[in-house]
Amino acid sequence: MTDPVRATPDDPTLVRIRGLTTVLNGKTIFDALDMDIPRGKVTAIMGPSGTGKTTLLKHITGQMRADAGSIHVGGRNVAGLSREELYKLREGVGYLFQNSALLTDFDVFENVAFPLRQHTKLPEVLIRNLVLLKLQAVGLRGAARLMPNELSGGMARRVALARAIVFDPQLILYDEPFVGLDPVALNQVLKLIRTLNKTLGITSVLVSHELDAVQQIADHVMLLSNGKVVAQGDPRTIAGDGSPWTRQFFGGEADGPIPFRYPAGDYATELGLAGVTK
Amino acid sequence: MSQPRSSYAVGTGLFIVLGFAALAYLATQTSSVANVHQGDSYTVQAQFTNIGQLKERAPVKIAGVRVGQVQSITLKPDHDVADVTLSIDRSYNHIPQDSVATIFTSGLLGDQYVGIEYGSAKQAVASGGTLARTRSTQPLEEMLGKFFGAGGVVDNVGGSYAVKASFTNVGTLSAGAPVKMAGVVIGSVQSVHADPVKLNADVVLSIDKRYDAIPDDSAAAVFTSGLIGTQYVAIQPGGSPDALKDGDEMILTQSAMQLEDLIGKFLVNGSSSDKKDAGNGSK
Amino acid sequence: MSARGQHGNVVTQSLTQIGLCGLFLLTLLAAIPRSFRYLRETTRQLWFVGAMSLTIIMVCGLFVGMVLMLQLYHVLSIFGGTSASGMVVALSVYRELGPVVTALLFAGRAGTAITAEIGLMRATDQISAMEMMAVDPIAYVATPRFLAGLIAMPLLCCVFCAMAVFGGHLVGVTWLGIDNGTFWSNMTAVVDVHTDIVNGVLFKSLAFGAVVSLIAVFQGFTTPPTSEGVAYATTRTVVASSIAILALDFVLTAFLM
Repeated sequence: MTDPVRATPDDPTLVRIRGLTTVLNGKTIFDALDMDIPRGKVTAIMGPSGTGKTTLLKHITGQMRADAGSIHVGGRNVAGLSREELYKLREGVGYLFQNSALLTDFDVFENVAFPLRQHTKLPEVLIRNLVLLKLQAVGLRGAARLMPNELSGGMARRVALARAIVFDPQLILYDEPFVGLDPVALNQVLKLIRTLNKTLGITSVLVSHELDAVQQIADHVMLLSNGKVVAQGDPRTIAGDGSPWTRQFFGGEADGPIPFRYPAGDYATELGLAGVTK
Repeated sequence: MSQPRSSYAVGTGLFIVLGFAALAYLATQTSSVANVHQGDSYTVQAQFTNIGQLKERAPVKIAGVRVGQVQSITLKPDHDVADVTLSIDRSYNHIPQDSVATIFTSGLLGDQYVGIEYGSAKQAVASGGTLARTRSTQPLEEMLGKFFGAGGVVDNVGGSYAVKASFTNVGTLSAGAPVKMAGVVIGSVQSVHADPVKLNADVVLSIDKRYDAIPDDSAAAVFTSGLIGTQYVAIQPGGSPDALKDGDEMILTQSAMQLEDLIGKFLVNGSSSDKKDAGNGSK
Repeated sequence: MSARGQHGNVVTQSLTQIGLCGLFLLTLLAAIPRSFRYLRETTRQLWFVGAMSLTIIMVCGLFVGMVLMLQLYHVLSIFGGTSASGMVVALSVYRELGPVVTALLFAGRAGTAITAEIGLMRATDQISAMEMMAVDPIAYVATPRFLAGLIAMPLLCCVFCAMAVFGGHLVGVTWLGIDNGTFWSNMTAVVDVHTDIVNGVLFKSLAFGAVVSLIAVFQGFTTPPTSEGVAYATTRTVVASSIAILALDFVLTAFLM
């Protein structure tokens, strides 16, 4: 009851989004979006840049409020929670930031220990063991005393992952976990996500546009465009479902339903040639 | 791992200690801690004809030791003396009734304070009581004037009296300067003009209507606040039963002293007085 | 386009900033009870904004006292009043120069650091990460820095004033040959604990500390989280703090004197 993420183990859907509508700076990001994220699976949310994938994650964690619609995480509406309840909810949710977001004031060990120190009064020995356990899991126990600025991008992301799982969450949201990683680091992160999902049964939501990586890892893919889910299904079959969206996105065509040009006025008029051409 | 944390704590602790040490140093070494009033006190009234630069919270001393402070200074509209309320520490409650309250200056440039010299009466002054015997501050010009035997020139200019006064020399007196009686401001200088015929300065004083009982033989003098302060007009009440009226001219005036000259004589290594010719009258 | 931010005249914009800053202050104050949990963080910030500013404050205090004494000595020697110069150094430092110069240095040294640090924390999502780890960034980041500034300023100002008096003594007594006893007795005769030290040094510096750290934290939290935004906000912290310090100084002086 106190932990909404673990509250309804029978419901196969962990995150249920209904009629989500968001308008940012006059631009409609989500237009009555409906989405179900299944429990215990790896769900990948894909889509062109600027479709609000990161915004969606922020909605799920209550960092941003939507204009309309509801988001239920484990049966509780995120929008209706007070700050204390929201913080309680977030203790059960891990979040991996695109740029790792390690606290630059602290070394690796203290970064991973940070949530523990803030929310528990565990004895120092226990904190130490827990942190070393998580660091061992991401293979960086030896880097415990390094500062964040001494880490490579891949290492920083693994540290951030260790921090995200330090409370053993039931749900982890990954915001572009593969961006800017070399193939080795990418595979390391990929392996970690899969291991966490398989061994601990952690529900994972993955925002990415690395098609190869997603196909290796995801159980379920949702393609987001123009504020709606335009296609979803198994990662291996979705690319061939034949809709113009999927064809363009997975085929990488420059123009199509996803427009090449940002909406603009008449080109000739803007150049001042409207009268000349007449 | 607690290493960096504890070093922060130690450093911060040192910083706080250093800050408070500096504060203690400022408070005890560079100021008169005694100026903070403490303990119970009682009040005594004293009337002075001239309080000079005495200010509220100025010290009250007996035999040079601080026993209290000046609580308030007021001038009643129909009085020509200033009422000064002294707040004195309870432990000094045996001040004889006939003690003399005098306004002294600490050194030549220092602040003024009230000194109490014990009398011989058996009865001590009660709380709220009055010290009848007082000695006022003496304007520096008067003292210097006496000292050098070169008292201010008293001009006897013809014509009837007015809230107008002529001076042979107004020094650096300018419009807006205060007009004081018994050291308390009662008005201001309205204008300063040189008289083309008589070759002296006509000064128009505007005095607050409340002070309408100033005797018509009162004298107006240009004084300086302290040694290097600004100049003001002081009115020294006379004894005439008639009061000054609007448009009257004050007969008795005392011009500004060439303070620079006086200081020059006073201090052996005196600086030159040729820089500033303070007078706007004739030389 | 964010028509509200870019256009609109300077007055409206400044008023908006002041209003937002005031609201932010309320948020900060409301978070004080919650930030007691992070007392250790406040201590750490006190180290950064206070102890780390100590060197510059001490050096500047020393030089201000020295130059003030040098200037006053030459002016007062015209009147034969050089013995009063120690007293004038003490009074001018306690009442004006101490709090104001300390606050300006503090804005330049600690204020910019606070703004840049918070701005970068936002740019690198550290603030969002704290939100996600269920740590209130206001209580954990903003309030400790604000409180640290509030505590550090009066202490720094005391150190500054002590150094200035020391510098004045160094130049006046050691170099220019003012009598040591005269120097101190003139000073102690005039400097009043209440008007000069409590009202001058402590009260003013407390007010300046609050204003500078509020502006610094506010700018850090409201700037666009980009490198440009952070650079801009850092400049703004110095400019806004300086104006606020001098304007507030006038108001406080008018009220306290």
